[in-house]
Amino acid sequence: MGIDLKMIRKINIFRKAFAFTTPALIILALLTSNSIAGNIDNQIREISYLLMCPVCQGQTVAESNSELATQMRAIIKQKLEKGESKQEIIAYFVNRYGETILGAPPPKGANWLIWILPALALLFGGAGIAIFLHKSKSEKDKRKTKAIFNEPQVQAESKYLEKLDEELKEFES
Amino acid sequence: MKILSIVTKLSVLLAILLLLSLLGYAIFGNRVFLKSSPIVGQQASDFTLELFNGEKIKLSDIKGKAVLLNFWASWCIPCKDEAPALEAAWKKYKDKPVVFIGLNVWDDKDSALLYLKEFGGEYENGMDPKGEIAVEYGVGGVPETFFIDTSGKIVDKYIGPLTEVIIDYFLGKALSQDHGITKDGN
Repeated sequence: MGIDLKMIRKINIFRKAFAFTTPALIILALLTSNSIAGNIDNQIREISYLLMCPVCQGQTVAESNSELATQMRAIIKQKLEKGESKQEIIAYFVNRYGETILGAPPPKGANWLIWILPALALLFGGAGIAIFLHKSKSEKDKRKTKAIFNEPQVQAESKYLEKLDEELKEFES
Repeated sequence: MKILSIVTKLSVLLAILLLLSLLGYAIFGNRVFLKSSPIVGQQASDFTLELFNGEKIKLSDIKGKAVLLNFWASWCIPCKDEAPALEAAWKKYKDKPVVFIGLNVWDDKDSALLYLKEFGGEYENGMDPKGEIAVEYGVGGVPETFFIDTSGKIVDKYIGPLTEVIIDYFLGKALSQDHGITKDGN
């Protein structure tokens, strides 16, 4: 009888534990699968944004609704599920469509010009504008100063001051 | 101040020259689209195509023959333009070691079948519903045609509607490598 009660207690404890842990495990499994799916979706999106749609004007594979872009996204997903890396998948498309499929030209060879020239243009253009503005300000300040000293009131005060100086000298002598 | 003026002018001039260089490179620079395709010269990727008649054709089963692989769609107007040339060429090369394969892409089956009924295409034609073969071959529009030689190597890719002269030229190239056959198919 005692043994039966112990067994029953053990079974009840086990049942309670099972009742609590099973839903927790299910929720954990769902969350994990969602995050894995979410992770793949993010990867698909990331890679799709790096590739230009071959049949569209200036749209990436991520942005385009064309049938080809949709098929390319499906292929990206297949390859990710097979375990291929981002670089391998991008190389796959480049090997078939050429480097023009890339959203940004790779920084190699003459392509460096595309990366450097805008920055240099901005630098020199900005320097030119800064120098021009500085020069304009200096000219403006000069004209302002000149204008102040040419005003009749200032001229009158100067004459008065000159006369005051003369009289002070006479007084001192 | 004179120096500043010269420096300003030079900076602005340099900025303009740099931007023009960039524009020039964008227009005239070495871009891949000037070449036909990066897969030309490589072995053609194998595929299995389900034909409209229900049979299947596998590229690697076609041994010792040149292949003309033509991607098309029923809504494609240049495809309709080239259809007579393809049909005529297929008849001309029927007794030669050449296989014509038409691959329908980005289309629906009914429209494709109507197109075939109207525009011929008695050679093998099938559908690529998932676009996997199209992407494998780097197809970016229709019509696009690949010429594969008898060893399975892609010898050329032609973008746009074909004519009989163009077909003769590229099939001649594809055939001439192993069989010593002249460009007109003899």
